[in-house]
Amino acid sequence: MTSDVIKEAVAKQQSGDRKLVADNSVLGKVMTFNIGEQVYGIEIQYVVEIIGMQRITKVPHVPDYIKGIINVRSKVVPVIDIRTRFGKPEIPVTSHTCIITLSFNETSVGIIVDNVANVEDIHSSDISATPENKNVNTNAFIQYMIRSDKNSEQTKLILDVAKLLDEQED
Amino acid sequence: MAKIEPGMEAMLDMYFYETNSLLEQLDEILLRTEQANAFESEDIKEIFRIMHTIKGSSAMMGFDNLSVLAHKAEDMFFVIRENPELITDVSFVYDLVFQVSDSYKAQIEAIQNNVGGEYELFDFDGLIEKLKNAKEKLSGEANGEAPAAAENAAPAASAPEAAPDKQKTSVRVFFEEGCQMENLRAFLLINTIREECSFLEYFPADVETNPETSKEIIEHGFLITFSTEDNQDYILKQIETALNVQSYEVLTAAAEAPAASSAPTAEIPPEPAKEAVQSAPEKPAAAPAPTESAVEKAQAAVANAAAQGGSQKQSLISVNLAKLDALNDIVGEIITTESMVISNPDLEGLELESFSKAARDLKKLTGELQDTVMSIRMVPLSGVFQKMNRIVRDMRKKLGKDVEFVMEGEDTEVDKSIVDSLQDPLMHLVRNCMDHGIEENVEDRTKNGKPAKGTLKLTAQNSSGEVVITVSDDGAGIDPEKILAKARRQGILTKPESEYTVKEIQNLILLPGFSTNEQVTEFSGRGVGMDVVKANVEKCNGTIVVDSTKGVGTTFIIKIPLTLAIIDGMEISVGDIVFTVPISTIRESFKVETEQILRDTDGNEMIMLRGICYPLLRMHEKFGIETEVTELQDGILLLVETDNKSMCIFADKLIGEQQVVVKPFPKYLARYNIKGEGLSGCTIMGDGSISLIIDTNTLIG
Repeated sequence: MTSDVIKEAVAKQQSGDRKLVADNSVLGKVMTFNIGEQVYGIEIQYVVEIIGMQRITKVPHVPDYIKGIINVRSKVVPVIDIRTRFGKPEIPVTSHTCIITLSFNETSVGIIVDNVANVEDIHSSDISATPENKNVNTNAFIQYMIRSDKNSEQTKLILDVAKLLDEQED
Repeated sequence: MAKIEPGMEAMLDMYFYETNSLLEQLDEILLRTEQANAFESEDIKEIFRIMHTIKGSSAMMGFDNLSVLAHKAEDMFFVIRENPELITDVSFVYDLVFQVSDSYKAQIEAIQNNVGGEYELFDFDGLIEKLKNAKEKLSGEANGEAPAAAENAAPAASAPEAAPDKQKTSVRVFFEEGCQMENLRAFLLINTIREECSFLEYFPADVETNPETSKEIIEHGFLITFSTEDNQDYILKQIETALNVQSYEVLTAAAEAPAASSAPTAEIPPEPAKEAVQSAPEKPAAAPAPTESAVEKAQAAVANAAAQGGSQKQSLISVNLAKLDALNDIVGEIITTESMVISNPDLEGLELESFSKAARDLKKLTGELQDTVMSIRMVPLSGVFQKMNRIVRDMRKKLGKDVEFVMEGEDTEVDKSIVDSLQDPLMHLVRNCMDHGIEENVEDRTKNGKPAKGTLKLTAQNSSGEVVITVSDDGAGIDPEKILAKARRQGILTKPESEYTVKEIQNLILLPGFSTNEQVTEFSGRGVGMDVVKANVEKCNGTIVVDSTKGVGTTFIIKIPLTLAIIDGMEISVGDIVFTVPISTIRESFKVETEQILRDTDGNEMIMLRGICYPLLRMHEKFGIETEVTELQDGILLLVETDNKSMCIFADKLIGEQQVVVKPFPKYLARYNIKGEGLSGCTIMGDGSISLIIDTNTLIG
């Protein structure tokens, strides 16, 4: 499985194994999207589809980052606003706003993103582990980063879908 | 501990299903015959067949202990079958077979719970020993008590049997259909028995070299003629157990001319001489006693007969429940999609005559489709009822209470998932009735003018979309005084004692932590039970109430909706959210007048309706929804009732009635307490939007 290869690569990178740099193989693909200025990514195998923004039915008694539930071809899917989840202010819905539905271990959720950017390869040499800093809350959802040598491109933060979907409220 | 053989997992489901249904069948026969106090020969054959099938499939799956157990039970029934007059004292036979059945269920459950992992291997040695003893006792009686019969049978039996012993024996072997390469299989068979035979001849003779002989073997069987010193039975057994052998027949010397029909070999009566050999201690399995082969022959014949009978009633198939669930989902989706197409906004204002007609036809068909799918999932309650019968039987013996078990309406059908979740609550109730309900002393009964024999009644009936199941006994009834006293001690009273009605007091026993029996018995009294019953029933949207009269008896009434998946709902809107209220809980809807609105000292609003005061719940406040309708007079009130509790809910307006497919909330939301706050699920409406389904029970809560 791709993610195993990636995990291995991240671990190697973390332990300072520089051999990776020479070996520039493609480990998988990520779908990238924007939230504000920041570029995030999600490994492609978790992505089910991208749908336009639609009416969301609110559900009571849930945290405010869960916007509600939507009907995706007769399946009821909860929708998370990634912005609110990461503590950023809400912005009005634009024509670029869309919902990416993800599936992990038979759990499906949709996430609201500002816009979908691209699908690109993950090169092993670009992988970089997140700094270990327990105080930064958002890092909990970031599995690793993809660096970019080109000036025009930012470092992308790859989300840990398992954590995003399986997080337990305290 | 043991593990399931690799490669067998795929067949496990089938095995569990088959074996469990066989065991249920067995229980049913036993209970029926025990009640009638007589074994019909049909019943014995049936039990025999069940044990045989279980033995075979267990051996195939590699569950040796189960296979041996079934084998021993089968042996015992073989003796009984041959000498039905022996079972004058049947109770020990029943006890034994029930034990076998229970051991089976326990072991199978253990395996089932650990599929893929290690399961606990139960030790049946004790039980096997008992069965062996029982069998020997029975066969001992057969020889001792019925010598006349045996002697009469002896000449007839030994004549054809003894003669071929010294002469040649002819056997016609048939292989399993479609096993292929019959000629080589025949050759292998010859090789296996060759050593034991002093003379061996077979037809067709060129099986080893001529594949064409396969055809001949398929059509007419493979004819083996052999003679042997004293090992005839051993050879027959070899033949029978050989790979792919489906059946064989022993042709007596006289009948050596090809006989068209395969005469069942089971008809040969056991010889007294061999019965005697049997009463000597038997070595397990390794060296089968001579009669073993007679048993085997009988089994083969019975199994064949069963197989033939079985082919006629192939109108039933077993289907994986998951597939039915999937089908159910799809049908639900089709119905939703259908209304999305038919009432599509794009069509508004158009005159579409032929479209409307087609749409009507489609609607009719999808309705039929839905009904059919629903009916597929419907199973009769008889299986569950039968299990209760078994429990009553066991408890009757253990508690020494004379109780008659009466079933009514066991053919009533309900959704499979409901049947499954009903089993535990019913079991609790039946146990309770047996343990607490029916009086300990017969005098207590007769004193009250009741018959000495108690009655436990289980009934089921359909009534307007609900199944009503009652469990009733004619026992001591519930003493409101005792309940109240106990409740006081447990501290579960919520209002002054004087305010409790008898009905309310009786229903206190359904609360958690309540158990009136001071003594904990094997069957009940652990303080869990009635509340679990209540919770279980409520899980399938049902209700349970107690109705009891002291000294006369107790009745538990369970009401459960026929199916969980589709409900009739009333759509109401609150702000921009649409809720669905199950119509079954709505008593009425009305516009409120100012003078009907009351407030208590805490400022809680109440509605006075025909002299009765109901609490009021504003939906927009409860669920935090923004709406323009906040004046009670502008919106609509619904009076909802469940569990003998009622309240009024306030919504903006009624939208209309609709049949909705209930969908659970997504798994991701399971961690939040949505269900506890008055919502039971959601549904997709005709226009594709989602409506939340109100759970009246927790809303009133």
